[in-house]
Amino acid sequence: MRFVEEFRDAELGRAVAGEILATVQPGRDYKVMEVCGGHTHSIYRYGIDDLLPANVELVHGPGCPVCVIPMGRVDDGIAIAHEPGVIFTCFGDMLRVPGSHGTLLDAKAEGADVRMVYSPLDALRIARQNPDRDVVFFAIGFETTAPSTALTLKRARAEGVPNFFCMCNHVTIVPPLRALLESPDLRLDGFIGPGHVATVVGARPFEFIPADYGRPVVIAGFEPLDILQSILMILRQLRDGRCLVENQYKRVVPHEGNLRALEAMAEVFELRPHFEWRGLGFISQSALRLSAAYADLDAELRYRVPGVRIADPKACQCGEVLKGVIKPYECKVFGTACTPEHAIGTCMVSPEGACAAYYNYGRFARERAVV
Amino acid sequence: MDPADVPVHCDTGPEGGCITCGDVAVPMRVREVDAAQGLALCEDDAGGLAWVEAALVADPAPGDLLLVHAGTALAALEPEERR
Repeated sequence: MRFVEEFRDAELGRAVAGEILATVQPGRDYKVMEVCGGHTHSIYRYGIDDLLPANVELVHGPGCPVCVIPMGRVDDGIAIAHEPGVIFTCFGDMLRVPGSHGTLLDAKAEGADVRMVYSPLDALRIARQNPDRDVVFFAIGFETTAPSTALTLKRARAEGVPNFFCMCNHVTIVPPLRALLESPDLRLDGFIGPGHVATVVGARPFEFIPADYGRPVVIAGFEPLDILQSILMILRQLRDGRCLVENQYKRVVPHEGNLRALEAMAEVFELRPHFEWRGLGFISQSALRLSAAYADLDAELRYRVPGVRIADPKACQCGEVLKGVIKPYECKVFGTACTPEHAIGTCMVSPEGACAAYYNYGRFARERAVV
Repeated sequence: MDPADVPVHCDTGPEGGCITCGDVAVPMRVREVDAAQGLALCEDDAGGLAWVEAALVADPAPGDLLLVHAGTALAALEPEERR
């Protein structure tokens, strides 16, 4: 089963790149933001940058959920992990995200029972296997991941698992996009929309971008041909003076999204009045917490968490990277003090982070270009 | 196969990247369905097996191709997309 091979055909890729070259207007510069960290990863992994004309620049957006978690939330998680009897579970990337005094991995080294899971269902299984311990799942992710957490909480409730709790850090994609579009130091011509978020929420939530801000959006898949075709679709809209949401990823994304997922999320979650994003500051109604009906499963209510706001390290320019104001290599500490092995900023921690993706795949191409 | 015998997870395999916390999902083929539990035993490209949450897709059946993210099937891929 190689469902993906047909979307990696090099000859077709070169043909689309040729069409892109024929579509751009000489003398005009284009800045296109890929919102999603998964796209950033694919762009570097497959060298899509190298196939584009020099006047088409890809700007990396805020769509890596690990990268936007502020240090204060990591500290809160670590505080819960240190509570007696707690088994603290989270996705692997989260283990290495620095709080103000170390990471969850450091907490584990100090004796806290911190375990990596691949899905919230794994965490629920650990809770069933350890009925005398509290099991806390540190939930992160955009609307792609939130349904998974919602269904697991519904499952925990239905099965009557009394020792399963959730620290909810789920975020929503539209408010930060609106914040970015309102930012005065940003100039973007169009957006590559997040394909798997749109699988859940549909295409409709992105319609404000062309309607209110006059920028085209193309919801895209994650294979190299998907991304190249999406860039072409954006450039064609710009050339033709059109401005709308188009769906390149129709094989997966229905216009109305996944209604079952939206129903589960509506039952389990409610919007937080505000939430802090690393580098972007507080954004209204941009994150989810457990609804009143699920408050008894809310780890933040069960345990006392510090809830202190921690300023990002001064040297770290994750905020500018997340807004697309600077490229990862323009950060003062990129590749020197901040590397995937010893990350200062969150963009370097997750493979989907713009800095880590650039460090792993893009820096050699830049060295070639400089030489 | 008993759900308890197979760990509930799916991995990135050789593709790299983090499928659990990035906005990334992988196609997996349904091998078995446990309708009572709402779970489907799925196989990824590398032959790895995992029980995944199947509540978001309508009536998954063995042979169906599902798009799986963080242990949850987000969508059933269209029949014409199956190879």
